[in-house]
Amino acid sequence: MNRLMGSRTLIRTCLRHSRRHLLRTLLLIFGIAMGVAGVVAIDMAKTSVEKSFEMSTTALVSRATHQITGARLEIPQSVFTKLRTRLGIHRSAPVISRHVTVPELDDRIMTLMGVDPFSETHFRHLPLGTDNRDLSAVMTGSTGVFIAQSHAGRFGLDIGSPLTISLGGRNTTVTVAGILDSPDKALLQMLEGLVVTDISAAQEILDMGDHITRIDLILDRKDVAKEIQEPLPEGVFLVETDQQNHAVRGLSRSFENSLTAFSMLALFMGIFLIYNTVSFSVSRRHRLHAILRALGATRSGIFFTVMAEVMVYAVIGSILGVLLGILMGKGAVQAVIATVSEMYFTLTVGQTDIAGITLAKGLVAGILTSMVAGLFPALGAAGTRPVSLMHKSVSEHRFQKMIPGLFAAGLVILTAAALLMRTGPAQAGYDFTGLFMIFFGAALLTPLIIRVLVRTLLAAGERLLGIMLTMALRNITRSLRQTSVLMASLMVVTSVYIGIEVMTGSFRQSIVQWVDDHIGGHVHVSSADERHPALDPDLVARIRQLPGVAAVSAYNIHPVFSRAAGKVHLFSYESNQSVMRWSWTAAPETELASLLESGWIFVSEIFARQHQVEPEAGAAVILETREGPISFQIAGIFRDFFMGGGRVVMSRPTMARYWGHDDITAMQLFLASDTPAKPVMDEIQEMIPPGSLIQVRSGAEIKQSILAVFDNTFIITSALQVLTAMVALTGILNAVMALLLERTREIGILRACGTLPGQVRQLLIHECFFYGLIAGIMAIPLGAVLSWILIHVINQRAFGWTYDMVLTPGVMVQAVVLSSAAALAAGIFPALAAGRTHISEALHME
Amino acid sequence: MDVQMQKINKSFDDSGRRRTIFCSTSARFPSGSVTVIVGKSGVGKSSLLNLISGIDLPDSGQLRVGDHCISDMTDTERTLFRRRHIGFIYQFFNLIPVLTVLENVILIAELDRVSPKTYLPRAQTLLEQVGLWDRRSDFPETLSGGEQQRVAIVRALVNNPDLVLADEPTGNLDQDTGRKIMQMISSLVRDQRKTLIMVTHSPDAAAWADQMFAVADCDLAAMDGPFHEPSHG
Ligand SMILES: Nc1ncnc2c1ncn2[C@@H]1O[C@H](COP(=O)(O)OP(=O)(O)O)[C@@H](O)[C@H]1O
Ligand SMILES: [Mg+2]
Repeated sequence: MNRLMGSRTLIRTCLRHSRRHLLRTLLLIFGIAMGVAGVVAIDMAKTSVEKSFEMSTTALVSRATHQITGARLEIPQSVFTKLRTRLGIHRSAPVISRHVTVPELDDRIMTLMGVDPFSETHFRHLPLGTDNRDLSAVMTGSTGVFIAQSHAGRFGLDIGSPLTISLGGRNTTVTVAGILDSPDKALLQMLEGLVVTDISAAQEILDMGDHITRIDLILDRKDVAKEIQEPLPEGVFLVETDQQNHAVRGLSRSFENSLTAFSMLALFMGIFLIYNTVSFSVSRRHRLHAILRALGATRSGIFFTVMAEVMVYAVIGSILGVLLGILMGKGAVQAVIATVSEMYFTLTVGQTDIAGITLAKGLVAGILTSMVAGLFPALGAAGTRPVSLMHKSVSEHRFQKMIPGLFAAGLVILTAAALLMRTGPAQAGYDFTGLFMIFFGAALLTPLIIRVLVRTLLAAGERLLGIMLTMALRNITRSLRQTSVLMASLMVVTSVYIGIEVMTGSFRQSIVQWVDDHIGGHVHVSSADERHPALDPDLVARIRQLPGVAAVSAYNIHPVFSRAAGKVHLFSYESNQSVMRWSWTAAPETELASLLESGWIFVSEIFARQHQVEPEAGAAVILETREGPISFQIAGIFRDFFMGGGRVVMSRPTMARYWGHDDITAMQLFLASDTPAKPVMDEIQEMIPPGSLIQVRSGAEIKQSILAVFDNTFIITSALQVLTAMVALTGILNAVMALLLERTREIGILRACGTLPGQVRQLLIHECFFYGLIAGIMAIPLGAVLSWILIHVINQRAFGWTYDMVLTPGVMVQAVVLSSAAALAAGIFPALAAGRTHISEALHME
Repeated sequence: MDVQMQKINKSFDDSGRRRTIFCSTSARFPSGSVTVIVGKSGVGKSSLLNLISGIDLPDSGQLRVGDHCISDMTDTERTLFRRRHIGFIYQFFNLIPVLTVLENVILIAELDRVSPKTYLPRAQTLLEQVGLWDRRSDFPETLSGGEQQRVAIVRALVNNPDLVLADEPTGNLDQDTGRKIMQMISSLVRDQRKTLIMVTHSPDAAAWADQMFAVADCDLAAMDGPFHEPSHG
């Protein structure tokens, strides 16, 4: 009891101390909150993608254990009839499923689903009406569809309202025949992504003839699977639903993990910040602790007092952070879902999911981080000797002696980090650990580097610098124990900023290069018709003959089924102007063309990664063809930014033989240098029969739209960049304020001796400028290393593509300017305050 | 330089309560004289020096140093005045830790953009006089208390100020060193006929003084002489 009372008094004493420095305490809490908010927002985005994915797919696949599908992503309907009649598999349902856009629903992407209501009972809870009427009976006149209650309400639609279904430029008008409604909230949300109709209506809308997308099955026994596979026609096969979903879901996992990396960075800044603030406030209280110790407070008493105080801020900051994170998360969810939909798989249901575990994670992360950061200062405080004679300079002196040791330790940690990243398993967890170690190791190097840098500066220009600059520089080395933490934080933040900047810049440059290499034609002619994409051969020939056309790429693109990635795109070129950049080839580049002719294929990096292609082990991959699974030899892996599961380039005979496509679906025209694009485009437009779905677009337009997509994917990265910078700035502001506060007495002396307020301000501003300058210089190599890691480790794992790092002198200048500006900004307020120092009060301070 | 206090009032806000230090206090410290101020701790001796140097302002009343009215000046004017005409020696030496002995001494002259030709010879003479020229490149923390106080004295005198203020300059020194320091201050000041106002508890302070005041009951009370042997010159 007595003990408790004692520590309560201790804590009260310290809290009262903090109230005196209210602004700094608030900054600390704000910093913790921002770090936590980043973690919560990103985690929210991740769980939301997870949930949206589930909702976008489970409504579609439901209880099916297996699916029958085809190499060309469709199968003849007769397969279903045979399955029912010959094999007697009753728990089976034919499904048509296709992404379409609906102008009446805000141009939303929906899944148009054609089902057989009688077969459905085993699979989905589609509330198609209580009496189980045949859909087509309900739908009189034009084709009828069902839409979700919520959409009907929001967009003012009712039974009988017309609705447009748009697929690749083809519009079909249908009628709302029924409303999907359910008391089950979760189910209702899943239904939001659907437009449901019956099989034959869907075939009509999508112009599919007598084909369906797949057959859903519920099989309880493994051996049945064999029985079913046996009589299926070639190019039609049975896959496990779970496995298939898993493959598709896996596409975006690494991307989501890379976001976690960034939110961890924000939290890591938080650690620096908290450590900074706590150690400053502890050192300011050195005298208080010494007196308390002299009065009989125990070591553990002091330790727990410091920790308890940190805990108070941590809890407040973390709770605030969670709330802030929920707000920020809403924005992050939108951005991440948009990116995932554009790059990996279409999410028809966008669900913002605030999981309890996310909030818990945020709280725990904030509190744990704060505890870890507070540990060392608390231990230091507990080590205070119960005599007030011990000056701050003693701990500083001890620190100065440790500097070479810290440097050595930093080198060891950096080496260990490099080893871990080179040889460790390719997992996000290891990458983050490596990253963390790199920052930590680099931070340990800073005291020595700062000392050397400052001494060099001083030696170089002692006379030139004048007494004020000399003072500013010497102040830095005099309290290295504190200033090096400040500068290390500033260095880490600047390097993160630079790292992300270099990554984004390099990436964009590579995208531009890629666009020029692969889709660099001045005029693009392509079919928007997803069902019958072939361009009329006559039209192709006439376009080739157009005056001003110097060269042509003519080729076809066909999506096909892939077990590993759900869907991949096949390309075969009749004439090809594109430039490939290889990341691996099986033979010298000159021989690649002949390999292609003899049936080998080229695959993109993403494809190679999705299909676990290992070049060393004689690269080959099995693709589902209309003749069944066939193994293809891979001649080369090329750098590529094509989205989704990746793409494959093959010869025309290969495509024709195994997938039955020998058409041309797209053309790129390269014009003579004096030919403008517009007249050529107009001429082509005139050749196209009215009502056809052929698009004629300029290369510039296409390039812009592609770059827009990629810029979008970096919105969230930029947001995190800003967040990190904000966390860091609060920390730096805090540290600078604390540091300059310790100079109060010195400033009092200067003022008393006759230094003008302006000169005092100048001194502090100079000091801050040097903090920033030195941190900025140190950030350049660290930033370069970081961007290398972001590009070659984290980004490559996230997206599966490689690109070259572009480190410009501009970025380095930016690093120095940025950190100097940050330090100056942080110093302005304290400097102004210092100019107003009350001299006699300052002189009385100890 | 003459120092004149006329009806000076000064009080502080002491956590809500007003605490009066001086109440309608008047006094005169003649040019070229040595004044010793005594009084109990906390009575307002340092505050008196702060007022005279313009570090603090009186609540009301007039404070003149030479021809200048300190209490009517702006902050900048007071600072510049202090820089050029007043030398201040503190109890705790108050040297700048990151500057060497010489840099501490010449700091203000440099800030004032005085040519080194003017202040360097004088700094050297004074440092030699106190026996610290050899240690000019050392940092204060490597010096003993007595040595630090000697540097502080040189710093206060290097600009050749007309008025020297000393606030318990020996308070943190052992008796022997203290006595030497006192001797040094008073001889430097007397040799150059400066006005010196010194707060001290030194028992033989009276020996150095032309006049002596006690701070008590919010006022300055003159104490009776004689304070030193008549023939000090
Ligand atoms: N800037 C200030 N603000 C508030 N109170 C002050 C200030 N300066 C001095 N005091 C108070 O005025 C009184 C006299 O202080 P001081 O002149 O330092 O005394 P002395 O030097 O005689 O020991 C003390 O009670 C002190 O607390
Ligand atoms: Mg005093």
